[in-house]
Amino acid sequence: MSFTNEPLLELRRAPVRAGLTDALIALALPWSVPVIVAGERRDAPTFTSTDPGAPTRVVAEVTAATEADVDAAVHAAARAAPAWEAKGAHARAAILSRAAGELRRRRPQLAALAVRECAKPWPEADADVCEAIDFLEYYAQRAIALESTDGLVQLPGERNTLRYAARGVVAVVGPWNFPLAIPAGMVAAGLATGNGVVLKPAEQSPACALALVEAFHAAGVPPAALNLLPGEGDVGAALVAHPGVHTIAFTGSGAVGLSILKTAAELQPGQRHLKRVVAEMGGKNCVIVDADADLDDAVPALVYSAFGFAGQKCSAAARALVHHRVKDTLLERLHGAVDQLLIDQAERFGVDVPPVIEPAARDRIHAFVQTARDQGARVHQPGTVPPHGHFVAPAVIDGLPVGSRVTEEEIFGPVLAVESVRSVDEACAIVGAQPFALTGGLFSRDPATVERVSRLLPVGNLYVNRHITGAMVARQPFGGNRLSGTGTKAGGPDYLLQFVEPRVVTEDTMRHGLVV
Amino acid sequence: MTIVAPPAAAPSSTPPEEARVRALGRQIAAGQAKAGRTRTRALEDRGMEWLARDPALRAALFRLVDVAPACENRRDLAAHLAALLGEAERPGTPIGFARRVSTRRAGGPAVGALADLVVHRMATRFIVGADPGDAVPKLEQLWREGAAASVDLLGEATVTAAEADRYARRCDEALRTLADAARTWPARPTLDVVPRVNLSVKVTALTAKVKPDAPELGIADARHRLRTLLRTAKRVGAHLHVDMESMDSRELITQLVIDLLGEPEFRDGPSAGIVLQAYLKDADEQLDQLLDGIAQPFTVRLVKGAYWEHETVEARQHGWAAPVYETKVESDRAFECLTRRLLQARPHVRVAIASHNVRSIAHALACAPDRDLELQVLRGLGDDLQQALTGMGLRVRTYCPVGDLVAGMSYLVRRLLENTSNDSFLVNRTRGADLDALLTKP
Ligand SMILES: Cc1cc2nc3c(=O)[nH]c(=O)nc-3n(C[C@H](O)[C@H](O)[C@H](O)COP(=O)(O)OP(=O)(O)OC[C@H]3O[C@@H](n4cnc5c(N)ncnc54)[C@H](O)[C@@H]3O)c2cc1C
Repeated sequence: MSFTNEPLLELRRAPVRAGLTDALIALALPWSVPVIVAGERRDAPTFTSTDPGAPTRVVAEVTAATEADVDAAVHAAARAAPAWEAKGAHARAAILSRAAGELRRRRPQLAALAVRECAKPWPEADADVCEAIDFLEYYAQRAIALESTDGLVQLPGERNTLRYAARGVVAVVGPWNFPLAIPAGMVAAGLATGNGVVLKPAEQSPACALALVEAFHAAGVPPAALNLLPGEGDVGAALVAHPGVHTIAFTGSGAVGLSILKTAAELQPGQRHLKRVVAEMGGKNCVIVDADADLDDAVPALVYSAFGFAGQKCSAAARALVHHRVKDTLLERLHGAVDQLLIDQAERFGVDVPPVIEPAARDRIHAFVQTARDQGARVHQPGTVPPHGHFVAPAVIDGLPVGSRVTEEEIFGPVLAVESVRSVDEACAIVGAQPFALTGGLFSRDPATVERVSRLLPVGNLYVNRHITGAMVARQPFGGNRLSGTGTKAGGPDYLLQFVEPRVVTEDTMRHGLVV
Repeated sequence: MTIVAPPAAAPSSTPPEEARVRALGRQIAAGQAKAGRTRTRALEDRGMEWLARDPALRAALFRLVDVAPACENRRDLAAHLAALLGEAERPGTPIGFARRVSTRRAGGPAVGALADLVVHRMATRFIVGADPGDAVPKLEQLWREGAAASVDLLGEATVTAAEADRYARRCDEALRTLADAARTWPARPTLDVVPRVNLSVKVTALTAKVKPDAPELGIADARHRLRTLLRTAKRVGAHLHVDMESMDSRELITQLVIDLLGEPEFRDGPSAGIVLQAYLKDADEQLDQLLDGIAQPFTVRLVKGAYWEHETVEARQHGWAAPVYETKVESDRAFECLTRRLLQARPHVRVAIASHNVRSIAHALACAPDRDLELQVLRGLGDDLQQALTGMGLRVRTYCPVGDLVAGMSYLVRRLLENTSNDSFLVNRTRGADLDALLTKP
């Protein structure tokens, strides 16, 4: 079995770009996003999702799920799961692969949807679709591999069998920043292993979630095996607390993640199992730049890692820890590079910094920048922003006091703090003292340094001499440690183990003193 | 993607007789042999050939050259050398020995000094001076030996507008400095059919807005800087040549050049040119675009292409069909087809053939009995070739990088990597491959 990533669009060719522009024009909005339980659609819109770059443009009219919907969805998934599991890994994998085909067929439309609903610039929107396809294909393959795993020692007279059974119902609580890939991955992991799934997408990206669910259903996933519950935080909370849920797959903020872990630990009336939580939470990702770094590479990589998609990736760079010998040079070039960034609508090719997802995010990011100013730091924020849309100009900040909120808390926006360090070891100590451990970066041309830093840093994903975002399925399994997550690796060979429970059968094969 | 075959019908685009190509090839090779080399140069060439056989050592040394300018002192350089060799180490090899010496307390600075020296020596082989003024004596010497030059200003990557402006200013000053100097050089009828002063510029150094998916941004940003250079070139009577880089900037560069040369003020000068890369599967369409887009006479420098590995790896990582040929012989063949197409497009096109491959050059010469073409070589790699070709009374231009050592390193690394690749014509020459075999039709 071999896996290759879905090829990204070759956007450097003009006809390819034209194809996307056409898809955006053809996208008929608004969509209507219903609650879908066991294939039944309940359509009574209660809220909308809008274009972050044009807040008056409604992308989807959405029906929020009620508590009754939550209960019905969990029961539907539970009822559907046994038959779905009984199909076997090969049959389920074939269906997931077909769903990947559905997504592949609709690539331009899906990318256009992510441009509109989440203000993802084209290259990132396309990458999001490709990653969704990758997750489906990859987990389909891994589920087959898992079914045929059997590493037990066998002695004469007994037969030992290890089997991975589905855990039951998976509740998926997804984020908006990878509105297709991440929900697709978590849903696919649950389905590939034979679980029933209930998806609660982020309230900011319900249309993307609907597109996914429709692709799964069109490919042959039984309607009740995948249910859609649009809504806000209360829907997610009700779903997570439901006694019928076995596994919770969550990607989002640390605060919500911790409350999910707490809820999941409480036994509900009628609950006869322990809930398992797979949580991917925030980061405060540091890039270490040593004195021997090639700044020609480091500057663009830092800029892209910190400001791409307006810094709204959990893997984004938040702090640059720079060797004092090169700090002034790096900072000067970094300032100049930020001056060159294009702040504009996501649909414009070549845009560097699109709008952030919503007004609350914009205000929160502005508050951080204000804090930096109040603390006497130097703020370089040269850009002017378009009049409409939730834009935040990218900011490079240095001279922050030790322990500033700006260097300690996740901002989730286009803000990069630059700090001077005396050595790589001091930088490692700073990273090591953080509660987060998601991604990290290192620029060094000394193999001994690379080796030492790889061993010292607790981060889940370390990138050396390149940007620190954009993990590829099967090539860079992704996930954080410490307060950044439960340590699982999405897109990695062992991810599916979170969605199954191992069962061992031991059979005595002796009869009347003979091995039969 | 379909590979479009070049138009074949027209008479001058039919391949020349092989016998004639071989005769010219032997003549060039004989000239190269007569040019001879200094002992150190021969040693360096052997060294490069040796490196081509040992990928681990090759990687270690290239990475050392790459990091050398960033090292604080010789001890630091020695530490890097030790770590890099450590990666390449296998028991019982000279690497192990070198590594042990470089990590010893006493050995460190000494080895650092030696590494420093080697790096400097290699750099001066390829680079004619730290700045244009500094380069003038060597350029004049070249001229007196019968070869013109194209000067290329090395520098760090452009990531800011200030860096783009600085590069543009350096180019502008170079044009003036070189024009001033060249005025006093003696007449050379073979060379004086085109401007003496020739500057090669990199568009990606003229803008920090190189975006593969938005060439219009880079075009808008680089336009005024390149326009200024064209004006200066026109004023001082110099030739301005725009280098071609990777696919990620191809549309930007091509469209920018077509746009600017279409502006009325440039219809009657300066002399200007662009590069065509034969390794690209769609090089023929690329040439069509240039022929259709540029009305006045212009120069095309035909090369095989310097970014083969980059294009191949990038395509692989993204799951794209490679834009370049995958076997060298295809690039060689395309080079010959394009040579014939270009020669046929004269006088609209002035043809420059840039290669160190004696077969490629001999083929071009065989196609152009009138000798109305220019042959271009790289300083440091094509020196004996330059002597052989000038000895044959041909029009030769040597591409001469100018810059400080820091800026020179990445250039040096690229040249070295390219010329220690097993597919390279030069490596095969140094290894003593049979000349006739090297001269056979690709
Ligand atoms: C004066 C001058 C100016 C130049 N300017 C430019 C420029 O502006 N832009 C640019 O890109 N390059 C430029 N080059 C470099 C040029 O493109 C070649 O890389 C270099 O000259 C080596 O080619 P060759 O014909 O001399 O040698 P050869 O050894 O005959 O050919 C080597 C070349 O073959 C090609 N090749 C190697 N392996 C393969 C393979 N497996 N499949 C397909 N093709 C392969 C590559 O292009 C490689 O560089 C310039 C070269 C010179 C001499």
